[in-house]
Amino acid sequence: MTRRFVKTVLASLAVVCAVSAAGAANAQELQLTGPLKGAPAVRHLRLYRQGRFEIAPTVSFSLLDEYRRTILAGATLSYNITDWLALGIWGGAGVASLTTDLTDKIDGLGGAPRDQLTAINVAHSKSPFGQNPNSPASFADQTAKMSYLVSPQVTFTPFRGKLAIFNKIFVDTDLYVAGGVAIVGIQERADCVASKCNAPSSFDLQSLTKVAPTFGVGLDFYPSNFVSFGAEYRALPFSWNRSGFDSRGAGPNGNFPDQQVNSSDETFKFNMLVSIHIGFSFPTAPKISE
Amino acid sequence: MKQARRWLLLAAALVLLPQAAYAQKKKPKGGNSGATATPAAAPAADTGAQAAPADMDADQPAPAPGAPATPAGGDQGTPAAGGDTGAGGDMDICQITPDAPQCMATKEINLGLEAKKAVRAEVYAVQQQYVIKAQRFEIQPYFAITLNDQFVSHDAPGLSLNYYITQVLAVGLNGNWYGSLNQDSDFNFQNRRAARIAVPLNDYQASGDLNFTYVPMYGKFAGFGDFIFHYDAYIDGGVGVIRTKPIPVIDPDNRSFDWNTLVNFDVGIGLRIFFNRWLAAVLEVRDIMFFDKIENTKIQPGLAAADPVKGVWYDPNSHFTNDVQLQVGLSLFLPTSFDYTLPK
Repeated sequence: MTRRFVKTVLASLAVVCAVSAAGAANAQELQLTGPLKGAPAVRHLRLYRQGRFEIAPTVSFSLLDEYRRTILAGATLSYNITDWLALGIWGGAGVASLTTDLTDKIDGLGGAPRDQLTAINVAHSKSPFGQNPNSPASFADQTAKMSYLVSPQVTFTPFRGKLAIFNKIFVDTDLYVAGGVAIVGIQERADCVASKCNAPSSFDLQSLTKVAPTFGVGLDFYPSNFVSFGAEYRALPFSWNRSGFDSRGAGPNGNFPDQQVNSSDETFKFNMLVSIHIGFSFPTAPKISE
Repeated sequence: MKQARRWLLLAAALVLLPQAAYAQKKKPKGGNSGATATPAAAPAADTGAQAAPADMDADQPAPAPGAPATPAGGDQGTPAAGGDTGAGGDMDICQITPDAPQCMATKEINLGLEAKKAVRAEVYAVQQQYVIKAQRFEIQPYFAITLNDQFVSHDAPGLSLNYYITQVLAVGLNGNWYGSLNQDSDFNFQNRRAARIAVPLNDYQASGDLNFTYVPMYGKFAGFGDFIFHYDAYIDGGVGVIRTKPIPVIDPDNRSFDWNTLVNFDVGIGLRIFFNRWLAAVLEVRDIMFFDKIENTKIQPGLAAADPVKGVWYDPNSHFTNDVQLQVGLSLFLPTSFDYTLPK
């Protein structure tokens, strides 16, 4: 009986506390009904985007590459319908393609053996199977690379603010997300079947086009009305055969080599890029909100 | 009879006493005489500035509309000449107790007219920092995701504890527990099978660092032009230890490795987005750098597999390693409340 009473009292106290807390929260709301009730959060906002065209030269670097890194140079062209919505196109061409440490190891001294076991996977000497071991063909040459990239996209800018650096420098900034469809030109090892995959010419690259979704998030800084700069993270998920290996196609779930190189050897990769850009907006002066 | 007079005088005095207390000049409703009050905070002149109410935080009591207001520049209002509270002066209770009930009454303001008023050109971009960090502790639980190792992912839960000596400088400790979360990628196997070449791989067990944090940047964002949230960005760096051991891939039948404790240096850059004055979301990229011991890619057949001299198991050279992590977590500041030294 006593326990029940204690429980009842505690429950009542809990309810009272909860109700009290709720009452306090409601009371806080009343603070927002002061003299500037209904005022906008931001006044006299420089509308850096609304009604302006922007051209932004861009340099992009691929991330977490297994065999080859790509540097793309390009630009984003966009028209900002409102301050928070823009339509545009982003494009770039691969201007540099650098091998990774792993690729160098495979090609380097004590690297991958050029013999029967690797004949289908690693470019051997132009003469068959390492008969000329002093001048083996380069594995780097068979690794895939990005050639170009074009993406119509929609940019959404939900956040707009400003930044103080060292309490001395103040810049307006915004954060945006962009999404679209990317058309990606790649070069990867051409398809080959059975014994032809040992031939030196089978390691040549062919051009392919991939279509993939793309999305990114970025920060823009506005040191002046005309010029902005920023950085962006971008994802481009799609499947491709980065190494040129025959690694799949046979056995359970196709997880074993099938002695031919084709689309079954492509593996999914969440390709990532980080970009930096400088933007120029037209007209050169932004509108200002009320 | 004499006693009756005394009682009557006493009764009269008691009746008159409260009337004397009421005998003050009647105050206008709202109680703001305006003697020392400057115009209410006008819309900020900086076109990037935000109006005060939207920036208001529920943690803080609302400023009284009738209270002495400050110009947009954040300076304190100066009393008008003669507006003193000396004897005979017109005393305004709202100057003394701005939160008095009669001072809390709302007053309608024509926003259009207020917006057209001239304002001081000098406006701080962020007039009062949303969060005072000085002399507060920060507890930061997070989860770290590997950014740069396509061979083995070293994801880990972690915890940072910082003490802010000043508003921009903190000292603290942080640690990661990798435990069993190291994950050897499929890609390693595919590569070994296809190219007959193995890449030495390492597991991490734990790491801990003594760090200094510097916060050079802070700002605020308006979300959808409606609500406002605050953020700051920081850099940190320090020194500590990390425990690693090779995963035997070259000669897994004969080699097994113990944990090695290695000195590391770490640097990071982070972004903290505040939900309120004591809770924030944290996003940080941190690079833990150290000279790692890796498995020897060569096997020396002349030595027994169980050779206690494990020097032959290890590569004779140390390898500089970067463990770049993306850390996502929460930041809790204690104590949860604070007082501003200067007015807004």
